[in-house]
Amino acid sequence: MNTVIRALDAINEVVGRIVACLSIIFAFIILYDVIMRYAFNAPTRWAFDVTTQMYAFYFVMLGGYALKHQSHVRVDLITETFSDGLRRMVEIAGYVIFYFPFTYVFLTRSWEFAARSYAQGETTYGAVQLPVYPLKMAMTVAAGLLLLQGIVEVLKLVAGQYYWKDTSLVEEPHHGS
Amino acid sequence: QDSWTMTTTWPSSLELIETDKHFVDLANKLTGDELQIEFYEGGALVPAGEVFGAVESGTIQAGGDWPGYWAGRDAAFSPLATTPSLFNAVDYVNWIQQWGGAEIYDEIYGQFGMKYLPYGVTNNESGFRTNEPIRTLEDLQGKRIRVSGLEQGKLLEQLGGNQVSMAGGEIYQALERGVIDGGEFSTPNVDWSAGFQQVTSAWATPGWHQSASVFGVMINQQSWDALSPETQEKLQIAADATLLWSLAFTEKRATEAYAKFDEVVEITRYDDETLEKIQTMANDVIVETACENENSAKVYLSMVEYLGDYAQWRDASAPFNLGRTPNGPDVEALRECAPAE
Amino acid sequence: MGPELIALVMFGLLLLGLFMGHPLAFVLGGTAVLGALIAGKPMVLGIVVNRIFGDVLSNFTLIAIPLFVLMAQFLSNSGVTDKMFESLRLLMSNVRGGLALAVVFISILLAATTGIIGASITVMGVMALGPMLRYGYSPTLTTGVIAASGCLGILIPPSIMLILMASYSPLSVGELFAGSMIPGVLLGLLYAAWVAIIARIRPDMAPSVEPDEKLPRGQLIRMLAIEAVPPLVLILGILGSLLAGIATATEASAIGAILALVIVVVRGRFTLPSFYQALLDTGKTSAMILFIVVGATAFTGVFNITGGLRATQELMRALDFAPWLLILVMMFIVFILGAFLDWTGIVLLSFPIFLPIVQEMEGISLLWFVCLMAVVLQTSFLTPPFGYALFYLRAIAPKEVKTSHIIMGVLPFIALIVGMALLMALFPGLVTWLPSVLYSSSASS
Ligand code: NA
Ligand code: NA
Repeated sequence: MNTVIRALDAINEVVGRIVACLSIIFAFIILYDVIMRYAFNAPTRWAFDVTTQMYAFYFVMLGGYALKHQSHVRVDLITETFSDGLRRMVEIAGYVIFYFPFTYVFLTRSWEFAARSYAQGETTYGAVQLPVYPLKMAMTVAAGLLLLQGIVEVLKLVAGQYYWKDTSLVEEPHHGS
Repeated sequence: QDSWTMTTTWPSSLELIETDKHFVDLANKLTGDELQIEFYEGGALVPAGEVFGAVESGTIQAGGDWPGYWAGRDAAFSPLATTPSLFNAVDYVNWIQQWGGAEIYDEIYGQFGMKYLPYGVTNNESGFRTNEPIRTLEDLQGKRIRVSGLEQGKLLEQLGGNQVSMAGGEIYQALERGVIDGGEFSTPNVDWSAGFQQVTSAWATPGWHQSASVFGVMINQQSWDALSPETQEKLQIAADATLLWSLAFTEKRATEAYAKFDEVVEITRYDDETLEKIQTMANDVIVETACENENSAKVYLSMVEYLGDYAQWRDASAPFNLGRTPNGPDVEALRECAPAE
Repeated sequence: MGPELIALVMFGLLLLGLFMGHPLAFVLGGTAVLGALIAGKPMVLGIVVNRIFGDVLSNFTLIAIPLFVLMAQFLSNSGVTDKMFESLRLLMSNVRGGLALAVVFISILLAATTGIIGASITVMGVMALGPMLRYGYSPTLTTGVIAASGCLGILIPPSIMLILMASYSPLSVGELFAGSMIPGVLLGLLYAAWVAIIARIRPDMAPSVEPDEKLPRGQLIRMLAIEAVPPLVLILGILGSLLAGIATATEASAIGAILALVIVVVRGRFTLPSFYQALLDTGKTSAMILFIVVGATAFTGVFNITGGLRATQELMRALDFAPWLLILVMMFIVFILGAFLDWTGIVLLSFPIFLPIVQEMEGISLLWFVCLMAVVLQTSFLTPPFGYALFYLRAIAPKEVKTSHIIMGVLPFIALIVGMALLMALFPGLVTWLPSVLYSSSASS
């Protein structure tokens, strides 16, 4: 079981470690566009659409990675007073009641959404026409990654690996909103 | 009793939503116990760009729109929404009601499992709003201007400007920040409701990029088919009544807004020679676009055939005629690109 | 089941999920799905994906979120902000209660840079909590000051919350930034005044700084020039470019992130591992924030389409109160919601209900209303049981600081926020004056 958990856990870790690098790239693209616009009066035709699509790809693909690192804000005021056994039950119930219904709908509806866009060859409209379906496909993949990480997190709880006891998570540099 | 959920592409802050509301009120009065349409302002259910998908998939039964927003799915939606320097509002009404236009809307929307009832028509859009006045085409050189539409973008680029595409809600901030040098959105009253007088000081008329516009409601085909013929007819009556209402309503409101703009911005006008030049270029862009997409060619062909057909009587009735007969694109060039009948 | 009941059940599920300790983003998303099923309208679930794609993935203005986070991460991961605070703290050492005042003023500046409360509270907490407790400041005052001033980031421009508010209202980002500038800074000054008063009447809660910690003037100036000036120039440069109308929030955030990186490199504090760590942390934080937006948009869509929006609107209209009383009720709702929901959730839920009603009111400026709401929302981070500021602070505070200290500590500041809101109600010019100067014709609409 631990091997399975480790293997599945690695998927979002790898995705996260690669996708997280995009932020600095779209920062530079915007900077490049700003320089071209103000210094050379020659704005790019593509920067607006490309950075919007990159930003969307970036954050949506990182959802599972953030879950793996317990970065999604939660309120543990009450559950932290529970015993490990009770807290495990409540945590698993949270996944069953809220997480899986949402990610399942997100995955299946995104898939229909992306498939329709692909079948219609949907593009952005205007003098520059970019295809829209790749981002919709990415959203579907991202929903799948979320669902997968949710399963992994439940498996960890079942196997007795409690995130609230995981020092590597607690000691990480803090991140928040 | 059937109950429909309907939304629109317009938020409550834009006056365009009045046409949608007028239709819904009329329809609900006429259909009485048979059908109740529950209307939500734009954004309350789905964002503007997703109304098409929500109706197509049957998540909601109806959605008010401007067809041009869907040109990324089929270029033919563009002439169903507006034309560069071609139709005026009355042309759209004539064409839709008597020259086969309504069937063409149903055919294009029908590809996506939807029925379409055109219920709004506005005449000429404002034109470009800028901070540096545009008096001649020379003033357009190198300008970054928000224009929506494929034909409109191509035309602007041929005239030396750069098209910037952005959603209506983003134009204000982009103008304010100087991200764009100018922009167009809609008719004067709608532009006023969007606050462009706060961020621009000049306005170039007329709006050659959109000589007139059509609005209407997309209806999921299954929902439409489930209605009795009587109810369908009542919805058609509500749409026809709203079509006429919208024309007079917008012209009245645009007149009022023009007077308000005249107090706070400098209004300029292109000379006739410039407009003729733009007409020639617009004709080329129309033929070029039509020849890249069969459906688009089919729509333009039908529209230009109407213009030719109507020209004799329209010109004979001058000066009491309904608008001009434009020196439009070559009908034979369009026929070559359109699918064989 | 009637729309009113469905709306109640959805709020009940929301509370249940939050109390169960499940991540907020997925409590919102899950409640959306359950709400649709309970209403017997599984068909409407289609709008969940329509909304996520259209409102979040296609929303150009939200690009500023990861980029402002990135800027903050570069500065804090490399220790640049630590040094900046330390030098400013020493600058303030002659003033009674100076450390607490320094925290307030640094927070206002930091606030202006990031607009991310987690970042400012954590950085301020790590920086100032230890020294303040060591020098005898009471745990109550210490935690109160840090939590309250750390939240100012979301009010003083540039702010992610104001950007989000602009994209959900007919107002522009520029107008909102200008409108909330004076109330935000004034609130900061109110905090400072409160600290100064406490330091004078209760010296046991805020003692003076020991003389031996003070630096000679020359050394202090050198330290300020090296440690404080570059990040402050970055802050002022970004604020300036936004206010001068040169750059959009997105452009400013990209420039800010890259300039922060440049400062780190020039200071010789650049290392590949800390650079990469900043990217990873930015990814987690951005995903966390934006998935709350995802969950909230799903929740709002289903809440609206199952009739909750209409029921609430009708309830508000049926109240038939005078405008000022209705606005008071709205602010009270925001205050109460703030105890349970994050600001994104509150904005996304309340804007579609409140704004149309306020727009119909004669003589009420929408800009004023939204800025008033932004100020009242400050309480949403501070009010127990669900105040994010409380949790961030709890996470970094030593054991001897009790949760009750933190809660007692923020109470006076909640009172100050309410006082600020009253001031804005009495003097609407506090909001409308700056926008009317910057955007000369905006007052006319
Ligand atoms: Na337009
Ligand atoms: Na801020």
